[in-house]
Amino acid sequence: MANVFNRSSTLLRKLLAVTLLAVLLMIVDNFTPWFKPAYSAVDNLVRPLYWIANIPLRVQEWSANSVTPRSEIESDNLRLTKESLIYHGQLQRMSDLAAENMRLRRLLNATELLQDSVLVTEVIGVSANPLRHTLTIDRGTTDDVFVGQPLLDAEGLMGQIIEVHKGHSTALLITDSNHALPVQVLRNGLRSIAEGRADYNRLNLKFVSPTADIREGDKLVSSGLGGLYPAGYPVGTVLSIVRKPGDNFLEIDIDPSAEIDRSRHLLLLYTSRDSSADAVE
Amino acid sequence: MESDNRGIAVCLTLILAVVLSLMPLSGDWIVWKPNFLLLTVMAWIMRWPNGLGIIFAASVGLLADLLLRTSPGHSMIVFALCAGALSLVSRWAKYLSMLQRTMLMALIITLVAVLEASIFMAYGRPSGIEHLPMKILLSMLVWPFIDLLIARSQPRRG
Repeated sequence: MANVFNRSSTLLRKLLAVTLLAVLLMIVDNFTPWFKPAYSAVDNLVRPLYWIANIPLRVQEWSANSVTPRSEIESDNLRLTKESLIYHGQLQRMSDLAAENMRLRRLLNATELLQDSVLVTEVIGVSANPLRHTLTIDRGTTDDVFVGQPLLDAEGLMGQIIEVHKGHSTALLITDSNHALPVQVLRNGLRSIAEGRADYNRLNLKFVSPTADIREGDKLVSSGLGGLYPAGYPVGTVLSIVRKPGDNFLEIDIDPSAEIDRSRHLLLLYTSRDSSADAVE
Repeated sequence: MESDNRGIAVCLTLILAVVLSLMPLSGDWIVWKPNFLLLTVMAWIMRWPNGLGIIFAASVGLLADLLLRTSPGHSMIVFALCAGALSLVSRWAKYLSMLQRTMLMALIITLVAVLEASIFMAYGRPSGIEHLPMKILLSMLVWPFIDLLIARSQPRRG
């Protein structure tokens, strides 16, 4: 009997010690960046495991590609050729508009002209924590990736780089609950903040007053405020607007434009700020 | 010698749990993904109560924190409390049938999930508590396979 009580008290002492240590670690992590090297070390250590964890996905992709009939590949090829022609036509119109925009900016004495270039990257891992929306991409310091760099997919803004290593980087997605980005309504320029809420298919729009001109179906783009994300990239579409009596702001749900949990090939955005007048021409 | 083999088996099963944790799933499924590391730790403590306990669970919890990028200490507390609860019943838990062990794990996983959600709420972050029933159900479905794997990893006596 005494043995049982001894065992229980030892257990309790160990539990108490571990709990105290854990609380101490949480406090230290909350107020200092001391654990950053540990996160990086573990990240580098488990990197080969990401490759192993991705094997089923690669096999699935490979088998899907292998069993596609020739007729389907041919029709896809034809469709893509047509799409390419259409986009090239639109691009010509866009370059014309961009040049006109730059001329107008020069007339308005705007000093900064933005020139964007992109680098294709592939997702090699996603966060194992469902409440933390990050992903790992296969580009790092060797490709001049930098902290704060915007990340896009074919449909819209995905997030920003938060950690850079030699051959890979970690990006925080716009749906993470710690992420917020300045946006504006494409229709009328109404500004707001789109905040993540740990749901891959939803964002919240903050601080929109009940009298604001915003409707379901409105497109949102990045506003460029804050200087992190360049202006004009698609962020999402207004899905629903709820007016609650007594609340100072509307509750607005956004459907993100980017395929946050599906895209594998992404674009890293390099924005250079060019103030020379030659760039206008 | 037996302990050495067990140590290797513990490491290999933990690596497998990490790989399963890192396996990418689409957004709808990722929130229901069972906590493979916790299940593996629980299975080992249940099978080897004299060799592994709270310190082992807390160490793996700390590793999970660094891996999942949660605040260090978060999973550590959760894993340690689970190990503590399991250590109290480990003497007779190994004599339970598979179904009874699965029910015991479901109870522990529920307690853990509520505790985790409370910590997230205390931080003012989304808790994901709405996904809890599905997560528990999937953990219960996965548990027998992990339990069997750990049982097979044990050195045979006699």
